Amino acid sequence: MISLTIDGKTVSVSEGTTVLEAAKTAGIDVPSLCYLKDVNALGSCRLCVVEAEGCDRPLPACRTRAAEGMRVETETPALAEYRRKMLRLILSNHRADCLGCPRNGACRLQSLCIRYGITESGMEGTRLDVEEKLPLLEDHPYLRYDPGKCLHCFRCVSACHRRAGNGALKNARSGVFHIVDAPFGPNWRETGCEACGNCAAACPTGALTLKTSRAYREWELTRVRTTCPHCATGCQLDLLVKDGKVVGAEAADGPSNGGRLCVKGRSGSFDFIHSPDRLTKPLIKNRETGEFREAEWEEAIAYAARRFMEIREKYGPEALAGFACSRSTNEDIYMVQKMVRTCFGSNNTDNCARVCHSATVAGLARTLGSGAMTNTIRDITREPDCILLVGSNPEEAHPVVGMQLREAVRRGARLIVVDPRNIGLAKSADIHLKLRPGTNVAFANGMMHVILEEGLEDKAFIRDCTEGFEALRELVRDYTPEKVGEICHIDPDMLREAARMYAKAEKAPIIYCLGVTEHSTGTEGVMSLSNLALLTGKLGKPGCGVNPLRGQNNVQGACDMGAQPGDLPGYQKVENEAVREKFEKAWGVKLNPKNGITATEVFPAAIRGEIRGLYICGEDPVVSDADTAHIIRALESLDFLVVQDLFLTRSAAYADVVLPAVSYAEKDGTFTNTERRVQRVRKAVALPGDMRPDTDILTDLMNAMGYPQKKLSSAEIMEEIASLTPSYAGISHARLDAGESLQWPCTGKDHPGTPIMHAGGPVRGRALLYPARFNPAAELPDEEYPFILSTGRILYQYNAAAMTSRAPGLQEIAGEGFIEMNWRDAERLAVKNGERVQVSSRRGTVTATARVGRKVSEGETWMPFHFPDSPVNRLTNAALDEFARIPEYKVCAVRVEKLP
Amino acid sequence: MRLLEKRASMNARIDTVLTKFRSRVNSFPPGMCPLALYRSILQMSINQSCGKCVPCRDGLREADRLLGRILSGDAGENATAELRELCETIAATADCAVGVVAATTVLDSLTEFADEYESHIRDRRCVEPATQTVPCMTLCPAHVDVPAYIALVREGDYAGAIQVIRDRNPLPTACAMVCEHPCERKCRRSIIDDPINIRGLKKYAVDRVPADQVSAPKANVPTGKRIAVVGGGPSGLTAAWFLALMGHGVDLYEEHEKLGGMLRYGIPEYRLPKARLDEDIAAILKAGDIQVRCSFRVGRDASFEELRRTHDAVYLALGAQLGNRMPMEDADAPGVTTAAEFLQTVSREGMDLTGKKVVLIGGGNVAMDAARTAVRLGAETVHVFTRKRDDYTALDSEIRSAMQEGVRFRTLLSFLNIETDRESREVRAVWLQPEIVGTYDDQGFVTTEHSSAYPYRFQCDLLIMAVGQRSDTAHFAEAGLPTVRGRIGADESCRVPEWDGVFSGGDCVTGPSTAIRAIAAGQVAAFNIDEYLGYHHKIGCPASAPEARPSNFVRTGRAEIEERNPFERCRDFGHVECPMTEEEAAREAGRCLRCDFYGCGALEGGRF
Repeated sequence: MISLTIDGKTVSVSEGTTVLEAAKTAGIDVPSLCYLKDVNALGSCRLCVVEAEGCDRPLPACRTRAAEGMRVETETPALAEYRRKMLRLILSNHRADCLGCPRNGACRLQSLCIRYGITESGMEGTRLDVEEKLPLLEDHPYLRYDPGKCLHCFRCVSACHRRAGNGALKNARSGVFHIVDAPFGPNWRETGCEACGNCAAACPTGALTLKTSRAYREWELTRVRTTCPHCATGCQLDLLVKDGKVVGAEAADGPSNGGRLCVKGRSGSFDFIHSPDRLTKPLIKNRETGEFREAEWEEAIAYAARRFMEIREKYGPEALAGFACSRSTNEDIYMVQKMVRTCFGSNNTDNCARVCHSATVAGLARTLGSGAMTNTIRDITREPDCILLVGSNPEEAHPVVGMQLREAVRRGARLIVVDPRNIGLAKSADIHLKLRPGTNVAFANGMMHVILEEGLEDKAFIRDCTEGFEALRELVRDYTPEKVGEICHIDPDMLREAARMYAKAEKAPIIYCLGVTEHSTGTEGVMSLSNLALLTGKLGKPGCGVNPLRGQNNVQGACDMGAQPGDLPGYQKVENEAVREKFEKAWGVKLNPKNGITATEVFPAAIRGEIRGLYICGEDPVVSDADTAHIIRALESLDFLVVQDLFLTRSAAYADVVLPAVSYAEKDGTFTNTERRVQRVRKAVALPGDMRPDTDILTDLMNAMGYPQKKLSSAEIMEEIASLTPSYAGISHARLDAGESLQWPCTGKDHPGTPIMHAGGPVRGRALLYPARFNPAAELPDEEYPFILSTGRILYQYNAAAMTSRAPGLQEIAGEGFIEMNWRDAERLAVKNGERVQVSSRRGTVTATARVGRKVSEGETWMPFHFPDSPVNRLTNAALDEFARIPEYKVCAVRVEKLP
Repeated sequence: MRLLEKRASMNARIDTVLTKFRSRVNSFPPGMCPLALYRSILQMSINQSCGKCVPCRDGLREADRLLGRILSGDAGENATAELRELCETIAATADCAVGVVAATTVLDSLTEFADEYESHIRDRRCVEPATQTVPCMTLCPAHVDVPAYIALVREGDYAGAIQVIRDRNPLPTACAMVCEHPCERKCRRSIIDDPINIRGLKKYAVDRVPADQVSAPKANVPTGKRIAVVGGGPSGLTAAWFLALMGHGVDLYEEHEKLGGMLRYGIPEYRLPKARLDEDIAAILKAGDIQVRCSFRVGRDASFEELRRTHDAVYLALGAQLGNRMPMEDADAPGVTTAAEFLQTVSREGMDLTGKKVVLIGGGNVAMDAARTAVRLGAETVHVFTRKRDDYTALDSEIRSAMQEGVRFRTLLSFLNIETDRESREVRAVWLQPEIVGTYDDQGFVTTEHSSAYPYRFQCDLLIMAVGQRSDTAHFAEAGLPTVRGRIGADESCRVPEWDGVFSGGDCVTGPSTAIRAIAAGQVAAFNIDEYLGYHHKIGCPASAPEARPSNFVRTGRAEIEERNPFERCRDFGHVECPMTEEEAAREAGRCLRCDFYGCGALEGGRF
């Protein structure tokens, strides 16, 4: 610690703290325009200059480190005069049309001018003439740059480089004038801008703004802190509410996002709330005509409850199933599985983790004892020397993690990318193993082969903390780099180097995503990566671990809450009698001791007539599940289907009853992000219409089905969860509202949560080294279907696009389905870039626009699954993984044809 | 792809621009507005601003606007105060030297050119005189009509060239050999390529036609006035020449046995063969009524009062021939001498330094003369020690020549003390203290301080102190003549205030300086004595500038004067410089842009 005196106050700060930050701790606000903590400390505006004893020049506080015994004055007449002069100079080059400026009232320049009594510049300014002639850059759907208001403080440029880790905003020059080369002009599509808007958030004035910000002024807003509803990064954001309407979103300094947001969080998280096609009344379908009619809640609830109970009566509890949604809150999900277990009487409950990370839950639970990300986002992006990124494209699927990974690489961490595609991060990877889809197990076994062959394993860790080593050693002996190279289509030398690089790094996390799980061998893929971490002792330590990036905002929570056929909340096993007894006592009913079936098994079961009634809370399997034709057949086979959603989705169209629910902005609750962090969702607005919170609907349904469920608030439901779930035992809305950030396991009211799991040894006791033999994907290309098709997400859309497709800007940026093809294949098929092609598999046919290039290898193709114009799940294969019953989205065989 | 900087990158291309820029700076003509030049620096600074920080990026432009207003006559009373305040803020708050120094430079201008600012603000014009002049003529202290004589050399009229030179400077031969040629410093030719080798062309002229064979202008009829000139060095000789041409009788008193002063006794033979000096002296003495009294010391052979009584005016051109000794123990020991003393002794009687280790303290031209002389006298080693690089005030060409001849240079050594033999008191060694460089002082010179390294002993048999010279003014001071630090207190017109008819100039007024400045003083004194006596005598010049030819703007190299092979020339006192050839001289003269005709030279009736 360093002790210094600022304006007569003694301040104690840690080494490396700047004078400006030190002053802040003493409650002294040193004025600054250009300073942005951790992003921009250039000393450009010179407003933060302070006087230090023994120094003959004023020093910029933002970039001067505090030193022991330093004596600093921050407000002297001379400094005030300097500041006034700087402000006048700045103002003279700023078009101060404050009345028309969206930042009026929120403008830093404005507030500092007021603070120092500057009402006009008194100088003519020299840049304004030039800047007025520079074009207003406003072709971008979301962002706008007005050079006439720019202070050239570099906050936007630095935010793009250092906060977004992107660098699409650049410095340029016109003669003697600095220019901000903002990528919002007519060529915005070609600039590499990701539209995240971190630049706009950094702008101190109205120069670089979000176009949406024109709709409000600072003083009209109420801010509601909540959690982003898109991916599982769990970014904290403030919804901006004006007159009962959400008009924008701002990044908050959350533990996982640190003030960052991606384009979806900032610009795609509110349009849908106020979408005119929101369901406002319950709908009941006339089975004869197939038409929906609006109904009152009493009727809809009573009808649904009656039909479910009739099916239970007739076919038994096992004929009913209910899916929770990993987009909704923990409290909602808890109530869904409670309803299924107490009212339906089966364990046929699941959530869409089944089709993304169920392999993780199953695999890591089996090997480590807990199926969740071991470390924190901050930890795996700040600490490591080397990052092993497997089957994950975080720049698009988890953009705020991607930004932090880019930062890590910029700071010097080595990066190994294992991915069939040239994803963005592959450009900055030390090694890119561009392996063939579906060969992850072979890759991991090859890595282990090299590690053992070269003696790079952590022998002590293997001896003390694992079991099954001999069997694993025996298995991987065959996986020579040459053999693996042949299976994976990679260079054996590169594999060797990657193994050495990972094994020898002191801190190296494995980060993976759906490229590992969404295979018929997904669970084995996960376990193989777990083997790799265990073999090198990289578990339970900072900057290490096995880190699945979970897909959706609350997919972790959905699994935690027991929306799984074999697990009660907190992964307490249905088959365990003591567990059942505990829940039976709490819930006051006898529970079905038999494991239920997974969501992916429910659909074939429905076709077979074994499942008769289904309740779906917020999911859209027609769009998101593999092999659409078979999903539709299943839904059509049902006797009774209830869908609870915001919109009349494609799945809802098959329902008998559609119940209108509310969005995340209209309710309270919690989401659990990928790093097991439980974060609050808060009600920001109440909309006109009969929509109701899911928990209220579920409570009514349960009561109507004869289960006496007390109506509880979201906070009360979390209390019930905590009382029954050891890993959530210490979590409550009250603690989170008091500012705590808790990661489960959090086992008591005073437990601080667990950032790094397995720190005191594997949760399982001894971690299991599971020998997984490589098996090829279920459907391989052949003469008829010569290409491998993988599916995935893109930055600008989210999953079934229920939310993102209602954001016009996102649609403008990326609103059309496409297929990525290798240029050689395209040449052979005479397909040109941008041409529409027909893609067929054994299960269906779609059309898409060809994107021809080098991103995918020869013989491989890739499509996003968001777009209704290219519904790719008509093609995908519902081949299921043995352990997790996850479908093989990442590999199926297709044929590509030129459209006539 | 990663690329190292490309060779044809913008930066490499900018370097060629900077070369052009430097040429412009180097040839900035005399007579221009200093504030306009300061504004150029300011604008150059603006061009250098990266645009990061407000004070530099925006503040300098505001300063430029204020300065621009002052220059355009739009500034109000408090314009300088405003500019000062703004620049003080910029200097205090700018982040890097680009901004800080830009602002301090403007602040400097406010002090250095307060009068110019005032004139601009009050009268909307520059301080007088403010007209552009021909660079070479202006910068030659004697204002020799350089373009004219270069043109004459080009036309092959070498006698004419000498006549033009002698119109201002009667020592063309001496100056052809030893002049520091300030005339070349801002030669307009350097905008295009390099300055004209003016001294080289002068040398070519006197090499072709000896000065004493060129007829002088016809002297005036005798005026009946007699002027005493004390000192037969360049200044006294010049005064005598002009006074004689005006028809005045001159009594030239010289302390030494021969005329020439430092040109004879200070400058070594290898740089200025004395036979060549005699050509100039012979020509001067033929100009008119000049009575030479050598080996005549005023104060011994006659008093100053006597001279005043017997003459209508007196010109004191005593020179500065006494070498300074450092005030330290054994500074007068055998084997310790001053450069002036050493050179005089050698020129009178020669010396043999075979096997001797010679040490020189000091880095001026005299030190180089002494060092190169010591080499020629057979010294085993010659070392020059200086405290700092700034102490090398000698011409670069002199230093380079000395190095070629084997003189060894060491810097950052301060001279601590002299070690002598206990018995003979003869010098044995010097003790030197290693130094490190420090900050610059107020005069703009870098300072040094003792480093932590220990002093060391350096063996030496002859220690030559080349640390300045002074004049022997004791007799005149006793007579009541005003002196300042041992120099005679004359003004720029060479008058000694309140001493009717007493004039003084050259080294005894300015301190040790160059021949051409002494010559200029002699010229000024002669004309002012004439004025003092109530005349406005004119001296005609028998030659005049030929018609200017069209200028040649083709980039062409400068013809340098080569020196003889250093391994040979260091063994004798023969003249080191090789003569220019006729074709070299013609081409070099052809590079002259004739600024007397083109550009400002044609203004106000033409000629300077």
